[in-house]
Amino acid sequence: MRVATMRNRLWTLYLTLLKDHYGLSAAKYYYFKKRQRTWEPLVIVAGLAPAVVMGMVFVWNFTEKLFMAGLTFGQPHLALLNGALMVSLAGLFFGFFSVITAFFFSSDLDMLVPLPLYSWEVLGAKLAVVLTGQYGINLLILTPLWARYGLLAGAGAGYILSAIVVFFALPLLPLSIASVLAVLLMRAVNLSRHKDKLTLVGGLLLVVVMVGFQVWLQSNLGSGDPEVVMEQLLSRADGLIRAVGRVFPPSVWAAQAMAYSHTGVGWLNLLYLVAASGAALFVLYYLGEKVFLQGLLAGMEGTKGSGRARKVSLSAQSRSPLLAVASMESKLFVRDPGFALNGLIGYVLLPAMALLPMFGQSLENNPFELLALDQLPPFVLSGGLALYFMFMTAMSMIPATTFSREGKYLWQIRSLPLSIEQIIAAKVVGSQVVNIIGCLVGAVPVAILMGWSIWEVLLGSFLGTLLASALAGFLALFDLRKPMLDWVNPVKAVKSNLNAVVGLLIGVILGFALGMLMFATIGLELLWLIPIELLAAALALGLAVRFMVRKWAPGLWKRI
Amino acid sequence: MLKLEGVTKRYKGASVNAVDNLDLEVRPGEIFGFLGPNGAGKTTTIRMVVGLLAADRGRIVVNGHDLASDPIAAKRSIGFVPDNPNLYPKLTGLEYLNLIGDVYGVDGPTRKRRLDHYLGMFELTSAVGDLVQSFSRGMKQKLALTGALLHEPPLFILDEPMVGLDPRSAHLFKSIMREHVHQGNTVFFSTHVLEVAEQLCDRVGIINKGQLIACGTMDELRRASGRAGSNLEKLFLELTDAGGDHEE
Repeated sequence: MRVATMRNRLWTLYLTLLKDHYGLSAAKYYYFKKRQRTWEPLVIVAGLAPAVVMGMVFVWNFTEKLFMAGLTFGQPHLALLNGALMVSLAGLFFGFFSVITAFFFSSDLDMLVPLPLYSWEVLGAKLAVVLTGQYGINLLILTPLWARYGLLAGAGAGYILSAIVVFFALPLLPLSIASVLAVLLMRAVNLSRHKDKLTLVGGLLLVVVMVGFQVWLQSNLGSGDPEVVMEQLLSRADGLIRAVGRVFPPSVWAAQAMAYSHTGVGWLNLLYLVAASGAALFVLYYLGEKVFLQGLLAGMEGTKGSGRARKVSLSAQSRSPLLAVASMESKLFVRDPGFALNGLIGYVLLPAMALLPMFGQSLENNPFELLALDQLPPFVLSGGLALYFMFMTAMSMIPATTFSREGKYLWQIRSLPLSIEQIIAAKVVGSQVVNIIGCLVGAVPVAILMGWSIWEVLLGSFLGTLLASALAGFLALFDLRKPMLDWVNPVKAVKSNLNAVVGLLIGVILGFALGMLMFATIGLELLWLIPIELLAAALALGLAVRFMVRKWAPGLWKRI
Repeated sequence: MLKLEGVTKRYKGASVNAVDNLDLEVRPGEIFGFLGPNGAGKTTTIRMVVGLLAADRGRIVVNGHDLASDPIAAKRSIGFVPDNPNLYPKLTGLEYLNLIGDVYGVDGPTRKRRLDHYLGMFELTSAVGDLVQSFSRGMKQKLALTGALLHEPPLFILDEPMVGLDPRSAHLFKSIMREHVHQGNTVFFSTHVLEVAEQLCDRVGIINKGQLIACGTMDELRRASGRAGSNLEKLFLELTDAGGDHEE
């Protein structure tokens, strides 16, 4: 037994959370101590390595192109700005969900709060874990980018030194902003009885606001006479850099710190970046001490009934077992913010991206103008909508994680007097209730604004539901093959679940294949064939899934 | 060692207090049993004492430290074992114990000595290198208990410690409580098992509907109720008098 010597408690807390979050101890235990599943890391590395290498090569080549393009108007460090902006915005957007999960929805808080730790220590260690993941991703993106730029620009030691500082400082600001937003949001929603609903609505709204903010900035960037704007951008030193950097100004500091690392301007920009990051961390530290614990305790407290005598209408109406399980499936998904925030985001994000650019712009300037009915031949819109329904059922992760989400409560559904075929059917129905509502919530406002015909929408929704149901059946079966049941944090059941990733890939591939079929049909000018093709595809897929479920599901169900 | 003065807690949306103006003092060197029917306010009280819930009113003092104004010092004096220990499943038992050791500042040699003692006693020495997720409920309880005792806390708090334990483990838990008190420390625990409380506790407090309705030694409770030969079960039933379910 190896007992550790005493270490700094913040450091030990960080290491512990890191081991738990990334499963490092579990990996060491299984692969080295027990020598079980030793092939797993090899398969994962072999599977990921080509994709990572290809990605890095792409960044390398893209940087060269961007450098050359920037060079033509005297701003070659556009490539640096591009990289800094990308990782900053990704950190801000995805960081929000990572930190809100780590700060408020993790299951270790019951254990950590009674320990003699300051709020900022808990907050800091959890942020550091998220930050570590961000550094890992940034390393893969920024290393080829900065190396290629450095070689092309003939950069020296100052560039390398500046790059090291920028690398560590760059994710601090977006993640701190995301953390401040998360802490304030949770403090606000935890004051209410309906905190789960508010967390969900607040989180989704925040995404819409973030998308709206970016759209606003981009539309401001392109306002006015495009020729005049471009002339101004090119004539001013760093004009284009500054204009693009308006989306997230610290990315300009990062780019200029590296590009001008041989001059005082570079070091001044580096100072701005470090100072801004430090200030953001200080605000977070202050909020951590003042607000975090209150928000956390209020969240852990839960709510109770009023205690007053209330007339409760007991529903005595009986339902079929299928509807009862389907209803449970959809309710349990949308009521848990851990599931719902991650699963429902697509239903809000995609329509928001389509709708927000319309405000303040004419339809002609809207990148989604193609969605206007008068631009589309008949049945193409229905077909597109059907594919949207199908893709969204994969993106929602509801069917692809349906058994995994049961976790330690799987025994409940196992003990019901239902066959696995019935359970899968019920789970498909439950997932489709959410999918239909989610898709329509997004599609109807777009349909109204774009002037879509109600018949096209109805036909698309009908075909889409058939396709989505068939796909959902397959994804549920795929999850049954190897459900991830040993989660404690619900977010992990959906976000860290390989079945969800595979489900999404299957959705993309199927959508692409059917999209190509539609494209070919349009090319042959046989538009009337589109709904027939999609109906046939849905029926064929449905029958195939039905066959697979009957053949394999009982065995898989017994094996769990 | 532990002093609660007028502590009150009402959950959001509830119309009655879960804990209502509770005054309680647990003296140094005693085993204090905190009893009450389901939903009486035992767990709410314990969660307030360990910092998992904020009291609406009143004051909690742990080992001379006010929990509201000096929470870190107060928490340093406490070792807490919840009713259902929520330990990191993907860590090994030893990694969990090292985290606790570092957070409470237990130096290496002391940590080794205490771990040898407690892990040996709980027969966990060979399992402590395994992942927590492979532990049974009883093993998790014992691991949490080891963690809570690692810094030899002046105040040892346990919420329903006997739930889910086999008779041998339950016996071990009782021995640990006695041993801890013999070393000059204090034990405060909640339980439904009245025999355990009667057998083990120097004093008991009975809470019902958020209010402390009786507190003292067994003899004091018997005298107060006017039933010289009563056991704790009879006293408890009489005092709580079919108290219905309420906020926990």
